[in-house]
Amino acid sequence: MLAADEELANKVAELASRRGLTVRQTVNDILEQALRVEETGISLKEVVEERWKLEKAQEIGFTFVPEHLLYQVVDAAYGQGGKQLSDTWRGVGGWYGKYFSAKTDKPLDAFKEAMGLLTFGASGFSLERQKDDRLAVTCVSERFTEGFTEVFSLFIEGVLEVLGYEVSDREVSKGIIKLKLSKRR
Amino acid sequence: MRSQTPEDTKLLILPTHLVDRLRAIATRQGVSLSSFAAESLEQALRVDEMDASLSDAVDAYRLSEIQRGAGMVDVPRSSLNHLVERLYNRKGGELRRVWGEAGRWYGEYLLAKLRPGEALGFLEKELLVAWNLDEAEVKESETDVSVRWVSFAMTEEFTELLLSYLSAVMDALGYREVERDSLRGMAVLKYTMIGVK
Repeated sequence: MLAADEELANKVAELASRRGLTVRQTVNDILEQALRVEETGISLKEVVEERWKLEKAQEIGFTFVPEHLLYQVVDAAYGQGGKQLSDTWRGVGGWYGKYFSAKTDKPLDAFKEAMGLLTFGASGFSLERQKDDRLAVTCVSERFTEGFTEVFSLFIEGVLEVLGYEVSDREVSKGIIKLKLSKRR
Repeated sequence: MRSQTPEDTKLLILPTHLVDRLRAIATRQGVSLSSFAAESLEQALRVDEMDASLSDAVDAYRLSEIQRGAGMVDVPRSSLNHLVERLYNRKGGELRRVWGEAGRWYGEYLLAKLRPGEALGFLEKELLVAWNLDEAEVKESETDVSVRWVSFAMTEEFTELLLSYLSAVMDALGYREVERDSLRGMAVLKYTMIGVK
């Protein structure tokens, strides 16, 4: 026998009832599958986290693309005149800002979470809340090209502007984005 | 399951063979059997909230792992659409070629990473999840494969690039394109195993 928290046990009982199975069968099935996952050396928590990330990415209209193709396309378009391209990435950022605002009452957290997906494996992203409603954003990747770094920084700015922040300090060079923002009064 | 004291816990009855395996894993991870089991149940409930199953979650994990290994990144589809539209008039041929090259490489990568016979099933999931299409179906018969996909949000230019990419993936997997019917955001394709007439 195994002792389980009552709330958890009740949730499992609800799940069993939805599936038309006994609690015992459901618990055994779950633990059996969990063991199969863990016995292959993968953590079940990581597996579930990854599934959640993919679902989120789909939900907010992201698509996977080979990284080098993305940089090639951005650089080629940037070379043809950056202004329109810059406006578009800032505009897309603004769209996401509105989306996060409409979807949750903690849009900044939702954005941070989304950036975890967007910079998936490719870069280090941090968003720090500082004193007096200030934000410090850093995104670093050795693989970002110059053109991509620029448009990506505008995407971030676009999101944060819609969330009520304005850029007070900006440092953008190949592979490095450092932004400081303050709340618009 | 029966309520027992203390009041905030319940006892779950498990078969001995399962307990032995659970104990072995829990010991390896340095946690108690109860906490390992509780964590597993929590995760299963979380997956259920996503309307999925643990095996779906394992598939998704594998897909992510392969995508990451192949150097894929997630981007907003609208930005990508805009980039492609902007370049396509002048550089459509070059873009198709580059996407075709990327597809060819990716097909070879799948062959190296997956067990024989897994690639087509994987490709279907990838089209749905990673490329975020609204519908995707990859059907295999003895020597032929038919592929059908739909995306309501895809531009014409992006459709063409995805077609170039996909056909190159299929080529690397050993299939030649023999039929193509496509419109903006939609394609019905037929492939035959290379070497079969």
